[in-house]
Amino acid sequence: MRSFQHINVFTLEEAVSVLKDSGGKAQVIAGGTDIIGVLKEQILPDYPEILLNIKAIPDLDYIKKDHEGLRIGPLAKLAGLAKSPAVREKYGALAQAARSVGSPQIRNMATIGGNLCQETRCWYYRYPHSIGGRLLCLRKGSGSCLAVNGDNRYHALFDARRCFAACPSDVAVALLLLGAEINILGIGGKRTVYLQDFFHPLGNALEPGEIIGGIHIPTPPVGAKQQFLKFTLRKPIDFAVVSAAALIVLDGGICTEARIALGAVAPGPRRFPEAENFLKGKRLETNVLEKAAGIALEGAKPLSKNGYKIEIAKTLISRALSACLENESFNH
Amino acid sequence: MNKENRFIGKKVPRKDAADLVRGKAQFIDDLKIPGMLHAKILRSPHAHARIKKIDTTRAKELPGVEAVLTYEDTPVWRAGLPSHIGVLSNTVRYVGDAAALVAAVSDVVAREALELIEVEYEILPAVYDVLEALEEDAPQLYEQFPGNRFPLACPWMGPESLQGIFMGDVAKGFAESDIIAEGSCSYENLPNPLPLEPPGVIACWEGPEDLTVWASAQSPYFLKITLHYAMGRINVRSIASHCGGSFGTKVLLWQLAFYAAALAQATRQPVKMYYTKTEHFAAYTLRLGSRFRGKVGIKKDGRVMAVEGDWLINTGYCSDAAQGMVAVGCGELQLMVRCLNWEIKPQLVCTNRNASKMVRGYGGQELEAAFIPVLNMALEKGNIDPLDFFRENFVKPGDGYYWRDGNWWVSRGIDYGKAMDRGAEVFGWKEKWKGWLRPTAVDGSLRIGVGIGVHGNADVGEDVSEAYVRLEPDSTVVIHSCLSEHGTGQRSSLCKMVAEVLKLPIERISVAPPDSLVNPYEFGPVGSRGTYAIGSAVIRAAEDARRRLLERSATVLNVSADDLDTEDGMIFIKGKGGGKSGKKIRWKDGLGFDRTCLGHGYFEPDFSISNFLMVFVEVGVDTKTGKIDLRRVVAATDVGKIIDSQSLKNQLHGCLGSAGLDSAIFEESVFDPKLGRFLNPNMLDYKWRTFMELPQFDTVILETPMDTHSFQSVGVGEIVNAPTPPAVLMAVSNAIGVRLADYPLTPDKILRALGKA
Repeated sequence: MRSFQHINVFTLEEAVSVLKDSGGKAQVIAGGTDIIGVLKEQILPDYPEILLNIKAIPDLDYIKKDHEGLRIGPLAKLAGLAKSPAVREKYGALAQAARSVGSPQIRNMATIGGNLCQETRCWYYRYPHSIGGRLLCLRKGSGSCLAVNGDNRYHALFDARRCFAACPSDVAVALLLLGAEINILGIGGKRTVYLQDFFHPLGNALEPGEIIGGIHIPTPPVGAKQQFLKFTLRKPIDFAVVSAAALIVLDGGICTEARIALGAVAPGPRRFPEAENFLKGKRLETNVLEKAAGIALEGAKPLSKNGYKIEIAKTLISRALSACLENESFNH
Repeated sequence: MNKENRFIGKKVPRKDAADLVRGKAQFIDDLKIPGMLHAKILRSPHAHARIKKIDTTRAKELPGVEAVLTYEDTPVWRAGLPSHIGVLSNTVRYVGDAAALVAAVSDVVAREALELIEVEYEILPAVYDVLEALEEDAPQLYEQFPGNRFPLACPWMGPESLQGIFMGDVAKGFAESDIIAEGSCSYENLPNPLPLEPPGVIACWEGPEDLTVWASAQSPYFLKITLHYAMGRINVRSIASHCGGSFGTKVLLWQLAFYAAALAQATRQPVKMYYTKTEHFAAYTLRLGSRFRGKVGIKKDGRVMAVEGDWLINTGYCSDAAQGMVAVGCGELQLMVRCLNWEIKPQLVCTNRNASKMVRGYGGQELEAAFIPVLNMALEKGNIDPLDFFRENFVKPGDGYYWRDGNWWVSRGIDYGKAMDRGAEVFGWKEKWKGWLRPTAVDGSLRIGVGIGVHGNADVGEDVSEAYVRLEPDSTVVIHSCLSEHGTGQRSSLCKMVAEVLKLPIERISVAPPDSLVNPYEFGPVGSRGTYAIGSAVIRAAEDARRRLLERSATVLNVSADDLDTEDGMIFIKGKGGGKSGKKIRWKDGLGFDRTCLGHGYFEPDFSISNFLMVFVEVGVDTKTGKIDLRRVVAATDVGKIIDSQSLKNQLHGCLGSAGLDSAIFEESVFDPKLGRFLNPNMLDYKWRTFMELPQFDTVILETPMDTHSFQSVGVGEIVNAPTPPAVLMAVSNAIGVRLADYPLTPDKILRALGKA
């Protein structure tokens, strides 16, 4: 790792102002579980001169219920989200997603804001500088995607065009499922984006000098059942090969609301409206769930080595939906 | 030994346990030598290139940089088998190969200096695949190795070292066979043995011909010898730090030593070369790539009539032990398959990727992982239970085999059938084995299957060991064996052996630091030789010291030495030791307060005894995701006599990790042939099983006395992972009903086999 200055800031406004004044030489650090790896392996050509420590800002790790839903501070730890009774009660998929990340040590450090802002895990993007030099690609602003004609076993099935890296965030999948909004703070003031608009093909919606100020999740529909599932090669530690989240509402055994989200299959987490619509108005028998999973994956465009993710994604969707139904029967 | 042992096989705390848990044990990164500089390597971005121009001016000007070396100004030292690698070269042969070295006052400065070195490369064509490397017009790595073939001779194993298996008449054998299976299998996922601690060496020149190295060495004395020959017959003192795991990879540390010593020579200061985990991953040691293509002929009853085939071995850009691994692998295959007609033709090939070097399993694992799937096709055709097959075929007393030295050895070992049966019973093999390609159980999308593997190694008595045991007048003892502690607890076990010989509390016994200056020759704890070979030298040294002590005391007591015995630091006339009536003297009274007594012990190589391990695995396969769940492992062995139960069990558990069992499930080095780079040199993308998903693991350890040393035991640690990869293939194939031979069995491969991807 190279040398940098580590500066504490004590308000979000101060953070934004330092970011602005630094002229791009400063980067934000919260839990550091992602950025430290990025810096240590020097995967990017640019290296920050300043790391702005926002952990010093007080009271930004809140998890608060209000009449509109749930408000989460950007510094809320994943361990806290996994344990929070408020999250577990009505936002179970988020608690499960947070719980699925890394290891206890990582969850005790990692923040929800950092989880949303983490860099992709594409192994070309992450190639360490010390072994023959970093690899440049479209995502780094120079060259083309190396994965599309390379080993793309973990890469995107959907929506990717020139960069095929997948979004690694599990938390984002649950937040998308639950219709979350991200509050962004910048020099020009505040703005709000829906979670689905936060992720861009080559990064995220944050402009230079902007920072996540908070997250809001609307109250889920009454009677909603949720489930988050993640497929990895190893049980703990790993990033998702595919993750899935489902939410359903039943009325007299008939599905009135259905949401399906997948992670690690596209540049951002992704919903599947056609499959969701297919479920609505139906009794959710096993074959219906499997059919919905099939519909969801219809548009997948596998690369040379990631076709197997389609089958895994279908399995996860069916299993997440069935788990919602099991929760249903269990609760009644 | 009829008498109940006090220490052998008894629970005794490991000598270094407290130091380890208190953080007192000194690993290489803990050592600080005054004036020590830090080394870094500029690594090549190209898989094959010639350095046209290299400009180090700016790097040298950076404050804190003490030396920048290129191929133009490094000493002419050479290593490799046969010798072919210098400190640096004007040709780089893999992505990550060293192009320049920097020594600076800190790690950070050294790293910064790397950015200031400018290299102009002439890119050369590169080759990665073993067959492509053998083609006529393939890019050539070394002038002296035309066709990219290394010679197979391994001089340090003897003038006639084993270079294949050739005996009998294979044509006749096949003619007499009932079943012939033919096929090929590759074990080329290059798992990375990855001990916890990366390798490191600190070098310091005491004079122009006198070099001291501190190293995270598994075999410090062997490092001394290696460097002596590689560096122009200089005098080397080699000191091992506590070694944070090795799995064979820290036996040959010449390359790090070259870098550190060259920089130390240039700066006249001590220099530390300690790899980062990333370098450890991408620029250190991989397993051999192994590809077998051939055929096996058997009788209906499982007797093997003929084995024939080509064994292609890809060792990456260099070889320093691969020839030895070829020799031992060929020996080990004969231990598990009893056959009179053989024709196994190895070819050792270099390619433009990071090197495969010495790793636990040492040739046998690589050969068997590729050979057994072909053998299994024959067993499947004959509907032969693999347990029955291995029981019949594993080497028995009186059976012969060609070993690594090229000589024919006849086994003086035991019949391991009992251990196999006991293992099968504990595992429940009879109930679980439903036949080839048949699952043990099916539950929805979950399919359960079982597999089995076996391995033996006659290297338990390889190479030379020497030891001194020094008795002090205060009845303490120092063992002089140049054995480093590399995680197995072997230094502690040596204390148990000496304590038993001298009947002395183990607290009074210590081992001298693993320093070549104060210890005699020791090859090191490799090939499971610690128990038999090193143990024999130490036991003999203790017996020799005891004899000298009693002889000296006999003159004091005016009796014959044969009538004397010693226990708990007292010397007395035999038979009268316990009673109050018998005359007892202290060691000091026998020796004199101003004298010590030194015993000397040797061990000479003996390849007539093999160790043994049979592994049983049970897997669950989710046919809807392709994921394999390792449910259960039973490791069965017979060690003659247990020296230390906990250390032994730890060794048996070692088949998980260290490029063993999981090289069939998810361990692999992912290579991009377009870039010539490994894509997953980190602990997230390289899938090493974590403690969170360990299977139920049972060990079966029998104790049938062996004709080795006075404790009648053999070691088994090194071989534990060797039989596991093909056992997993068998289990998964049985679970899903499709024959698989594609390491590792990641979900994509399982789903493809099931027609779902």
